[in-house]
Amino acid sequence: MEKREHWGSKLGVILAVAGSAVGLGNFLRFPAKAVLNGGGAFMIPYFVAFLLLGIPLMWVEWTLGRMGGAAGHGTAPGMFDKLDGAGRWAKYLGTIGILGPFIILTYYMYIESWTLAYAFYSFTGHLPFSGGQDSMKAFLSGYQGLAHNQYFSSLWPALLFFLITFLTNFYFIYRGVRGGIEKLSRYGMPVLLGLGILLAIRVLLLGTPDLSQPQLSIKNALGFFWNPDFSRLGDAKVWIEAAGQIFFTLSVGIGVILTYASYLKRSDDIALSGLSASATNEFCEVILGGSIVIPAAFVFLGGASGAMEAARGGTFNLGFVTMPLIFGKIPAGQLFSGLWFSLLFVAGITSSVSLIQPAVSFLEDELGLSRRRAVVVLGAISFLACLPAILFLGHGFVDELDFWGGTLFLVVFATIEVILFAWVYGIDRGWEEMHQGALIRIPKVYKYIIKFVTPAYLSILLGVWSFQQFWPFIIMKGVSPADRPYQWAARIMILLLWLGIAAAVAWVWRGRRLGVKS
Amino acid sequence: MNIWGLFFMLVSWGLILALVVFSFVKVLEKDNKNNNE
Repeated sequence: MEKREHWGSKLGVILAVAGSAVGLGNFLRFPAKAVLNGGGAFMIPYFVAFLLLGIPLMWVEWTLGRMGGAAGHGTAPGMFDKLDGAGRWAKYLGTIGILGPFIILTYYMYIESWTLAYAFYSFTGHLPFSGGQDSMKAFLSGYQGLAHNQYFSSLWPALLFFLITFLTNFYFIYRGVRGGIEKLSRYGMPVLLGLGILLAIRVLLLGTPDLSQPQLSIKNALGFFWNPDFSRLGDAKVWIEAAGQIFFTLSVGIGVILTYASYLKRSDDIALSGLSASATNEFCEVILGGSIVIPAAFVFLGGASGAMEAARGGTFNLGFVTMPLIFGKIPAGQLFSGLWFSLLFVAGITSSVSLIQPAVSFLEDELGLSRRRAVVVLGAISFLACLPAILFLGHGFVDELDFWGGTLFLVVFATIEVILFAWVYGIDRGWEEMHQGALIRIPKVYKYIIKFVTPAYLSILLGVWSFQQFWPFIIMKGVSPADRPYQWAARIMILLLWLGIAAAVAWVWRGRRLGVKS
Repeated sequence: MNIWGLFFMLVSWGLILALVVFSFVKVLEKDNKNNNE
């Protein structure tokens, strides 16, 4: 078996984790959530959630990951199994840390390929910039294969861009942690930041494009985003939304940070690195994300009502319909639209490679496959697993995958992680472990936050979401009869994947027990 | 934008930029130290 890799530098791992965290959500989900939940006032519950939920979970995942890596495990089954005090069942809880990222990957890479396609279509002038909402929606539907129209008559262009995206992702995975992921992040993140800053500046310098409508100014647009509605702070929904946004934006509870941290050396710092990665994510989210989409929508879509409608329209609509239309209205719009989608593509690929790595680590660390073989095996399985999301997009298949992998599993897994860390392993030992090689001293109050506050916060989230969202989704409330078979098929696919992972874990551990006995 | 809006924007931006600068200065300091050793 090849020797376990390590990251090349501290900056490399920070940029890799930040890259994993920074995605489409930073630029599309956050701005919408902020304006729909009190504007500037939203930042109060947002920062509270960052301090009490996001950052503690970050540190817990980094610590568990580094501990696991020191014992030769890059994924949660091995990590949880090795955790002092955890029972034999713990490794099966850990399977969520492989299943979750893999499920997300099966649709995320497809969406990422759209951003690549749209960058191409922007630069080459194929996007219907002057056509209006209906044309832009038709373009998207045609591209996705949901409609045959003057823009697209088949799914082949989408499949081609998906293939390019797929091969690019696996190329970086094949090159390894240091030569692939770290290198991608070291170049990709500065490019992402550069593109984001460029677009933010472009939007912030819009001034008042239509002098006959002086109220549609960038100053008023920023006011629309940041002016606080304090009355919303009394609404529990706003606090829940803020916690949810922090949770999803930092990519905690997926299992990717566990895997990335497993490639740290035991003496490598966690405290400062986790903080730096989180800070980078927040820069991209609040400063860049808050300065592009909603302010531009305000200025070009008729002010508050247009911007609110854009915010309510959902992530895909905002990113792939509203934004190119807006860019079409400014000078050199084609170029800026291309840069916008390039930004989203870089944000996407630095995230998608992190979604692939846990499964690769599992194959290498637990099944003893070489990296080459692990990449080939996983590539084949992934390619097949991605096809349903492409072919059945219009039938709610992706919504189903996103619910289980992208929502439920995250909250459940994060709760498992923090309880195992603070209560099973013990917060005193965990605290000591966290500070091995630390370059900053974490405030001691975090010992109590990690043990009591974060689990409580997660339990509230889990409880509220279970009642409001999870249960209706599980019983397929409002799903049309025609789509039900597809959503059931998605559930069966998830179940089969989980059974495969659990069987592999059982087989590997049985082999080890027999090996020890003999 | 009203005064509260400006306040929230500047404080949010300020806190995040301070965090970014603080953490990356320390990171680069340590990386340089390791390279020299």
